[in-house]
Amino acid sequence: MAPEGVKTTKSHREIAGETRRIKVIRALARKSWVHSAAKLVINYMERRGGTPYQINAIRCFADDFKHAYLREKPCIFTSAFVPNELIYGLGGVPFLPEAASGFAASFGFAKESLAVCESLWYSPDLCSFHRAGVGASVLELAPKPAAVVVSSHLCDGGKRSLYQISQYHDCPFYILDVPYTNSLQSLDRLGKQIEEVAQSLEQEVPGLSKDHMDEAIANSNAACSHYLDLCNLRTNIPSPWRGREALSYVVLFLWSWGSPWLTKFYQALAKHAGDIVQSGEYPVRNERFRLAWLNLRPYYSPRLFDYLEDECEVSIAFEEFSYMYWDPLDARDPYVSLAKKIMSNPGWGPIERRLEVINRIVGEFSVDGVVQFAQWGCRQHNGGASVLSDYLRKKGIPFLNLDGDGVDARNSGEAQSLTRLGAFVELMESRNIRNSR
Amino acid sequence: MKPGSYVMGIDVGSSVTKGVLLLDGQILSTFMLPTGTDLNVTAGECIRRLLSNRELTQKDVLYTVSTGYGRTQVEEADRTITEITCHGRGAKALVPRAGLVIDIGGQDSKVIRLDEDGMVADFVMNDKCAAGTGRFLEVMAERLGMSLLDFGRMWKTARKPANISSTCTVFAESEVISLLSRGIAPDAIIRGLCDAVADRLLGMVHRVGLVPDVVMTGGVSKNEGVRLSLEKKLSLKVVVPDASQFAGAYGAAIIGHELAMRQ
Repeated sequence: MAPEGVKTTKSHREIAGETRRIKVIRALARKSWVHSAAKLVINYMERRGGTPYQINAIRCFADDFKHAYLREKPCIFTSAFVPNELIYGLGGVPFLPEAASGFAASFGFAKESLAVCESLWYSPDLCSFHRAGVGASVLELAPKPAAVVVSSHLCDGGKRSLYQISQYHDCPFYILDVPYTNSLQSLDRLGKQIEEVAQSLEQEVPGLSKDHMDEAIANSNAACSHYLDLCNLRTNIPSPWRGREALSYVVLFLWSWGSPWLTKFYQALAKHAGDIVQSGEYPVRNERFRLAWLNLRPYYSPRLFDYLEDECEVSIAFEEFSYMYWDPLDARDPYVSLAKKIMSNPGWGPIERRLEVINRIVGEFSVDGVVQFAQWGCRQHNGGASVLSDYLRKKGIPFLNLDGDGVDARNSGEAQSLTRLGAFVELMESRNIRNSR
Repeated sequence: MKPGSYVMGIDVGSSVTKGVLLLDGQILSTFMLPTGTDLNVTAGECIRRLLSNRELTQKDVLYTVSTGYGRTQVEEADRTITEITCHGRGAKALVPRAGLVIDIGGQDSKVIRLDEDGMVADFVMNDKCAAGTGRFLEVMAERLGMSLLDFGRMWKTARKPANISSTCTVFAESEVISLLSRGIAPDAIIRGLCDAVADRLLGMVHRVGLVPDVVMTGGVSKNEGVRLSLEKKLSLKVVVPDASQFAGAYGAAIIGHELAMRQ
């Protein structure tokens, strides 16, 4: 448990960001008829022949949101890289404020969340995924957490901003202190921490019980199996799935391991990709180049991807955040298994681990160039940009460090980003011409 | 492509629109005018003036390539190419030994490393604000009540540069006011401003790798003070070709010529 911090009072909500539409959304999210109506709409979409993987993705969130907002199950806030099998395994529902910020940006609600966060003295230099998460929580657009669980990897801003959220909601706060180096002792230490957090959550939060752990682990492994099928299909040239969509569905990859819906989602998505490969109806028909995309994307505008995929006919073959980095989990030893999952994250530990994964992506997905979306305020990714650039340059792989912001539109210039992307495509073209001589 | 064919390159920059007309791959004429608010109208006017100077019409032009931030607004263009590629190609044509191009325009700055064929090997652009760009220098010149053309002369008379710590246009302006109020001589302030721009470019140069010859293009290439600061910090000569402002449009026209030949 963390020491008591500065309590954020409700009056902050009134300083900035509190608009009529925020009031409406906050109220609607907590009405049971809204969730019942959402279920009816999803069923209707399914009957009308909607795309199965999209329907399953909506179901995945609709189910969790209903439980969280209507307080049917304890809602546990987690930071982006906490293995949520732990939360589903305790019978709770996870909520990731950082990932929800991407949602907010997609639906145009991020502005208010960012404004309220800034009124709380958060620096605009902090990653906007964290700022918007704090703002949404203070505006009570997010559900009320019963507890907060964070890990010390990968982002420093995440654990600090989530601590503030736990103070605002006056709920227990747990931190998994992830060892930097990978060893048996580290695994043992982290496994024990996870077990202690599980026990403590079970005691502190009514409604949580470890009885669901086997089911969550089984769900995770089943989803993993379908996901690997999907990854295999994505090695196909041309790419069977649009990168912009893949970068949107990264939210499920971060959020839903352990949920029964994730298995259905990846199963349907793998089938969709298989059908595309069979039919030859590829989303970027005359694919000229294939990119690996590192970090996230701007969620408030699709313009960069319209340009890249539709105008330049360049596919995003695979994303760094979609890389499956852990082995199947062991239900007989769930906590050590979850510790192994955490410790396998290539973004943690020496940068060579990340470079190795990027190198594998480049090879397995036949990539022509690598773009790193340099999220404003992201120390984790931007800190290694120079090493990454040198590494790829030595391998002769074109690399673009594209400055931008995933949530806060004020932090990037679209015209400049388009010029950089365009010049990068031209650079790959000129290399092709030279290599063909 | 038949002999006697005309090809055009139009560079719609944030401050100035430039045009180059080629005849059989050689520069026949150039023209530039302020970009203004309607990019399409400005580009049209640039094209009209380029052609009317030679008693030609659009029908006589085999191929047109547009570039610059307003490149998509040029109705007459057969193809759009980014200014990064065009400045690289134009600079290589103007200075055949060019290895690195520093292009400072009205609202952005770019450093482009070229390979031996004059193709872009790597590039970086400035951050999203106007720090260290042509607009930055314009605002500072306005605050000091002098022309940008005076910068070179003033740079040379300054005994030492004033310390300007920011290239943010707003912050640097308040620094300039503060320096003036402390009685610092304008020539020292100008040299300090030029050094601040050069310092910012220095980081970009080393990110892509310094490969001589270094060529400056874009509107700010005509600012002798910035060139002198760059030369001092890089410890090498920076080449500014006569047609440095037209490098982007010239590069666009060269690419247009190549594309027309493939048709």
